[in-house]
Amino acid sequence: MKQFAAWLATTFPSVFIKTQQAWMIPTIQTIHIVGIGIAIGSVFLITLRILGWAGTDQTLQQIHRRFAPWLKGAVWVLAATGLLMIVGEPARELVSFSFWAKMTLLAVGLTVVTLFGRTVKTHEAQWDEALARRGSVKVAAVATFLVWLGVIVLGRLIAYDHVWGPLSPAARY
Amino acid sequence: MMDVAAILAALDSLPLSQAIRASLFAFPLIEATHVIAITLVFGTIAIVDLRLLGVASGHRPFTRLAPEILKWTWIAFALAAVTGSLMFITNAGTYFHNLPFRLKMLFMLGAGINMAVFQFLTSTSVHLWDDRPRAPPAGRVAAILSLCLWIGVIAMGRLIGFTSTQKAEAAPPPAGVDFDDFLGGAPGGPPPSAPVAPK
Repeated sequence: MKQFAAWLATTFPSVFIKTQQAWMIPTIQTIHIVGIGIAIGSVFLITLRILGWAGTDQTLQQIHRRFAPWLKGAVWVLAATGLLMIVGEPARELVSFSFWAKMTLLAVGLTVVTLFGRTVKTHEAQWDEALARRGSVKVAAVATFLVWLGVIVLGRLIAYDHVWGPLSPAARY
Repeated sequence: MMDVAAILAALDSLPLSQAIRASLFAFPLIEATHVIAITLVFGTIAIVDLRLLGVASGHRPFTRLAPEILKWTWIAFALAAVTGSLMFITNAGTYFHNLPFRLKMLFMLGAGINMAVFQFLTSTSVHLWDDRPRAPPAGRVAAILSLCLWIGVIAMGRLIGFTSTQKAEAAPPPAGVDFDDFLGGAPGGPPPSAPVAPK
């Protein structure tokens, strides 16, 4: 990974982002944070609906239809801006514990959200009548929300990878 | 009258500020919480703004949608204010004179005024447009202002991290640094004594 990061840093797009760094990286990061806002807002509202704390005048499927496309769109924006950040500063991202922990947690979050989206579409009646009222479903919804908060925390910790001590690859060399 | 420099210095030397500076984990975790808070502020307020613009949630009455969402916006904002203040006192003198920081405060003030105008003037006629998918022009202007100002707050917040360490970055790199060395990084090197937000 260290070699790959070193190679990536010599490629044209990486050099371009690096040389424009004064405005480019903060701009990409700003778009990334706005994207996180839309994504976490969408996940939050779906979570609140499952808990029965908001949007109770809507069925779960109505809420899902309102927010799922925004979540999906935001995830694509996040992937694009995230990729640009990797290309721009390969070592900072790829040679860090926080980054890989974030990707792992992200995979969990995306899997849960995708599976949830499918069952809401195919089992609409069951969701509104019974599933959303089950305690276990509410716990799972809160857990999923916490996974997304974990993704945000790990994303920010990429800039502070030293907090992981020996787990941080930077500490091993 | 106490002058500003003295107040900033006093904030800098508070035991709480010193404790945050001395801790390896405190500043990063406070900042991560700040990011969670600001993304929730933006994510929730955007839902209300998009409703005013008629972009989304058009079929739900505004008075049904706005209060149950804005409640969470305020909670998230309170969390952002607390975590933001904690970061500020660790390096008050630097942040106070930092241009992006000042612009961020200005944008927040603007967002507050915009919200007050909407609350006390525009929304008094809400019964006329509550069920319509789009708010009247004054409401739509408020929504666009709100979205722009909060994106500005996020952008300036991010820029603080790039400008508050400017002096250190402007220093010439030590001679003989090669790329491999850079990748390896300082082996478990100690964090900077004043944890000014890294990028």
